[in-house]
This record gives sequence, structure tokens and C-alpha cells, in this order.
Amino acid sequence: MSARAPVAIDERLIFAMGGGGFTMEPNNPLLDDFVLSLTGALEPRILFLPTASGDTSAQINAFKARFAHRHCIAEHVSLFRLRETDRPLEEIVLEQDIIYVGGGSMRNLLALWQAHGIDTMLLDAWKAGVVLAGLSAGAMCWFEAGITRSSGPPEALAGLGLLAGSLTVHADGEPERLPAWLAGVRDNELPGGWALDDGVGLLFRGKRMERVVSSRPGGAAQRVDAIAGELVRNRIEPELLLGDGPSRALGGRDEAVEELRRVHRMRRGLGRGRG
Amino acid sequence: MPSRAPQIVALGGGGFSTERDGTLLDDYVLSLLDAPRPRVCFLPTASGDADHYVVRFYRRFSPACEASHVSLFRRDQGTGGVEDDLATHLLAQDLIYVGGGNVLSMLGAWRAHGLDAILRKAWRRGIVLCGPSAGSLCWFEQALSAFHGAPRPVRGLGLLPYSNCVHYDAEPARRAEYHRAVADGMCGGFAADDGVALHFRATRLEQIVSSSPDASAYEVRLRGRRVVEHRLDVRYLGAPAQHAPEPREPPLGAMSGAPPSVAREAVAA
Repeated sequence: MSARAPVAIDERLIFAMGGGGFTMEPNNPLLDDFVLSLTGALEPRILFLPTASGDTSAQINAFKARFAHRHCIAEHVSLFRLRETDRPLEEIVLEQDIIYVGGGSMRNLLALWQAHGIDTMLLDAWKAGVVLAGLSAGAMCWFEAGITRSSGPPEALAGLGLLAGSLTVHADGEPERLPAWLAGVRDNELPGGWALDDGVGLLFRGKRMERVVSSRPGGAAQRVDAIAGELVRNRIEPELLLGDGPSRALGGRDEAVEELRRVHRMRRGLGRGRG
Repeated sequence: MPSRAPQIVALGGGGFSTERDGTLLDDYVLSLLDAPRPRVCFLPTASGDADHYVVRFYRRFSPACEASHVSLFRRDQGTGGVEDDLATHLLAQDLIYVGGGNVLSMLGAWRAHGLDAILRKAWRRGIVLCGPSAGSLCWFEQALSAFHGAPRPVRGLGLLPYSNCVHYDAEPARRAEYHRAVADGMCGGFAADDGVALHFRATRLEQIVSSSPDASAYEVRLRGRRVVEHRLDVRYLGAPAQHAPEPREPPLGAMSGAPPSVAREAVAA
């Protein structure tokens, strides 16, 4: 039952957040509702992996609080608590519509996934059309590289490489990461990529970055590349997400997304100022 | 300074992790240390560095020891216990106490931070290593770990050239699972009930002690094509029974030596 046929590349979605969602925005569900809207399922199955935090109950409880009463079937997998379930991990991972990865130590996250073989399961899940989402360590892990503070000072670390480029997170909330990342990109130690403020997420369709969204005004994404030894930095203004909660779950994904896009186009047309 | 022999105390379960009122096993481990106020570092990795576990450790050890812990998950938040160089800190300890939890997760995180190499060095230098459950399994060549489905053999750090099975009495199926694993090619080794500590000096099983009068330990190995299990002598650390025999027998032999006094022999397919 765990075997799922691969889907076309443009049906594979990854949503990478610089920070935000239920662990960081207890009173702002916009990013998490956006995650739920990314699957066609009426009642999506969403699996939370709190691995990077060491499976803290704080993260698990925040996940339950956010998703328990939404239109979804929510569960989590702990790699530390013994015998929570007898179902094989692979079966659990591959039956999901969404896999949501929490923040914490990127180094530990990848090491634990490797120890349990979850890295290959996630690759299979992505290929099978399971939406992969996450913040912080849970966002950088999908890229070729990220900037981790797993051992204290910020340093570059290779990710799973499903997405090309590098990612750095909390660009506004933890400013000490950014210089390490910029230096890495400038010196060609890291591929070019994105820096995300808290509350900002990148949606990838296949390997192509499709949308930049935000749960709060003020945040932004930056695309940074090294060209002839010089950093070229481009600020990308995100679409500000709007709460349209229940109607999306009832109306299905396309209507909701389309409506959201119309609203954003309208708002941009009105020349909304930024905070 | 004379070099100290490597020592490992592998607990089938028990110690401060699960025995709230008993201190027998932890006291036994502390009795192996020379220092008047020993340096003891706790590695709660296998629990995901669970806060409550760290607190329990300090409650138990800080009164009599220089207690510290290393968190591999909280290092980026400045709450990782020890902030300086991991190797320097760990190699300055008298005892490294490894907590229980998931052994696969723990070994994965250790490798990512280079702790496997540091612990190997610590062992060779005579820093005592101990722990229950995952904190026991990790020192062996192979271990039987039950997690998400059927128990399977896991490769440990290999300091002790045996296999290990813990909580042997706690789960009814555990014995059959261990025997099957050995029959399927896992190396022979030692199984311990909750409350039992296997004390190794270098790679020799020197003594087995327990915090419970009924707890047992077993040697399980392949003889020909059969799995044989020997019950091993266990010294109960609590109040001696009325008819307590005088000095216990000499240290148990290594696996290749004469079988330790056999109280029972079980045979599995």
C-alpha cells in the first residue's frame, strides 16, 4: 500500500518558509491554511515531523492546536518516543497529502532522517505528489544547502537537494545568519538562492519557484546570486495572504487560490503601501 | 598517572531514568569512580534532549557530583548545557551517562556531531560509560531495537564485540525476537532485564549487579545451528538475603571462556 506512482514534475510542490506557521505564529494561521490549500484533497492527511526540535511536546502540541479543528487528518511521527505506533514509517510517510517539517537543528534533522531512512522516503513522497512543507530547518532541508546554527555559530550545511540553490531563513529575526550566507554565495562556496524573512514562504512547483507569499506585512524574500564575484541581490515582494479559512476547504483548492490571486491583483492595482 | 581500564556499565533498564526511589544502580556506577566529587556528564540525545529527563539527572547527580549535560538539539539556542568544545568537555569527565530513548536516532545525531569518535576515545582513556536502554545498546557491536514495527538489529558503536538486548523481561516477545535475530546472524551477546547492570572491564563482562532481587541477565549465542541461552549470575545490590552466600564467584568469563554458572539453559530454533 505504500507504493505510489510518481506524478509529473509540475505536480510536485514544496513550500519553504523562512519562519512562521503554528510554531512561530500561534495567532496567525495564514501560512498553515495556505499549506492545507496546496493539496487537492478535501480533507488532506497532514503529517508533522518535529524531528529537528528533538520532538519537543511544545511543537507537537502547537501542531495539534493548529490542525485538530481544521479540515484535515493530522498526525505526527516522533523518532524519539518508542513504540508510538507499529505502522512502518514508510507506510505513514507515503500515505500523506502533506508532510510538514518543523524547525530546530538542521544538522540533527538530516542525520536522524538518514539514520531512519526517511530521506529516501521523502524523496519518494515528493515524486508521488505529496506536498512537502516546512519552516526554518524544515525549509532549508529541501535545498542544496542552508545555513544552520546547529553547533552554535552559523555555518553552511548541505541539504537533500530536491531544489536547486541555497536557502537562508529568519533573515529579519536572526540577522547573524545572513552575512554567513552572503559570504558563502559570494565566494562560490554556496550556490545562489533565497533569503527569507519570518512569515515569508516560497512555493516551488517542480524545481521552479512559483510564488512568494507572506503572513504579515513588511517581510520579503531576496534572491541573491554571485555574478563575476559580485553579489547581485533582488528583493521580491511577497503576496500578502488573506484569511479565507473555511470557504477554501469547502470550495476546494482552485477556487480559493484563484480568489486569493484576484484579491492580490486588486490590491496591488490599488498601490497598497508597505509597512 | 596509571592508565585506567575502559569500563562500561550497560543497564537493561533502571537507574535514575526509571527508578524514582532506588539509587542502587547509579550508586554502583559512582562507586567505580576514584574522584571524591566526580565529573559526570549526561547525554540525553536518545530522548531528543527531553527537558524533564535533564532535570531528573541534575536532581540525582548534582548533590554529589560535578554534573553537566550536553544537548545536541538546543545548542543553537544557547541552552545546550555545555557551550565549549564538546571533545574537551567530554574527555575531562569521570563518567559519561547516556540516557534512554531511541538508539537509532541517538547514533545518527552523535555521528553528525562527531560524538561517536569522542566517546570511543573517552572509553579508551578509562572514562566510565554507562546508561540504560539505548544508553546500553549503543556500546555494542549490534543491538536489538524495537521501533516502528518489528525489532531489528542495529549497529552500535562496537566498543563491545557482542550484541545486546534490553528490557528483556518487560516485553513478552522480546526473548523470541532476540533469539530469532541471533539465529539470523546477529552476533551472540547479552540480554538484561530491567534493573540489571552488565559491568564490562575492557571487553570482558566482569560483574552483573541488580537493583531488584528477581532480575536476571542472560548470555545468548549460537551453538552450531541452535540458539542457546544461559542465565548468568547476578549480584543483588540491595539488603542481603538471610542465607546470602559468602563472596560471590570470581568474575564471569568472557564469551569464549567457560560458560558462567548455568542456572538454566533455554533453546530456541
